[in-house]
Amino acid sequence: MLYDLRRADIRIKWLVTGLLATLGLSYVFGAVMVALYAGFTPQRVAATYAGPEMSMTMPPETTVIVQRPMAMADFAKPEVHTVDTGLLIQDTHVHVPMYGLIAAALGVVVAGLSLSRRWALGLIGLLFAAPWLDFAGMWLTKFASPRFAIVTLAGGWAMGVAYLIVAALAVHQMWSSRERS
Amino acid sequence: MNFLIRGAAIAALLHITPVVVLVKRPDAVQALLPGADAYVAREVHLSAADAHRLHEAVDWSPEDGVLVFYGGMAGSTSMGALEFVRVDTPHGPIEVAVGFTPQGAVRGVVVTKATVEMKPWVLEAVAAGFTDQYRGLKPGGAAPAGSAAIAGRAGNLAAYVAGEVDKGVARALASYGSFYNHVTP
Repeated sequence: MLYDLRRADIRIKWLVTGLLATLGLSYVFGAVMVALYAGFTPQRVAATYAGPEMSMTMPPETTVIVQRPMAMADFAKPEVHTVDTGLLIQDTHVHVPMYGLIAAALGVVVAGLSLSRRWALGLIGLLFAAPWLDFAGMWLTKFASPRFAIVTLAGGWAMGVAYLIVAALAVHQMWSSRERS
Repeated sequence: MNFLIRGAAIAALLHITPVVVLVKRPDAVQALLPGADAYVAREVHLSAADAHRLHEAVDWSPEDGVLVFYGGMAGSTSMGALEFVRVDTPHGPIEVAVGFTPQGAVRGVVVTKATVEMKPWVLEAVAAGFTDQYRGLKPGGAAPAGSAAIAGRAGNLAAYVAGEVDKGVARALASYGSFYNHVTP
């Protein structure tokens, strides 16, 4: 194969290393952001995406009012970050293209690795499946059942694991392999 | 390759930054309901017809069809009410707290949340005094015009975010005017 990262020019290896390092940095801060706004447990993810919409059925026939006393401390209670349908549409619209481009960039790296065709196809499949799982989980959590929060978690972890596999293999083959030029 | 680079640049530009708290809710409550020592949450569950009417008026539907007003009392005296309104913008959501006097006029407006990206625009707009323009507005009266008020004195992005706050104030005015006192619990 003409494209082989082990024998690639030093400039290509440096470019790929820079790409992997930069994506790694963004993944670390992505994980921090998830921890701050959604969490890593199915319960917290379900609370973020399912929200009260799951229990909302139909509007009342006539407008009704419910009053309850509040203390100032109630205003200070930490709010659960929720994502409603409008925000989820916006998030999907802006995140999915970026995830696709990241998967494509990592897929190009995979294509230059010394792997069997089956492993390479599987890894590229995982790179693209992860964001699909991530967002499918969010939509299913909102409109089907909060139990689908686990799909979003699986997608997020798959994204991280796929990145780590690609990064480890690429760095090893580019800089440690005996066959490097 | 050129397509990939352009796509990445567009996606990066469109990426929505996280929401940050600019003013904590208790601080906004104290500023907009001064002197109050007891509070009541008034949840208005809108019928389909009323929700449609509100949507027609200000192109907005409250989350889950529920308006939430917070009334403040000092002893047996009403100190007014306030409402937190979210406005979704292409740059992410902002939250605006709109306080009303017992007579039903706007007492003040506080931007409580914005995205990281919009925070400096909000701070610039606040420094230019755009929230002063809302004081005294009443439901059915003049339209909120905070953006126009600072158009020559602040940057384009500050004026832009003030325009988004205008929408939030318009929504609060419409919902307060139609549903705060006109539906009895």
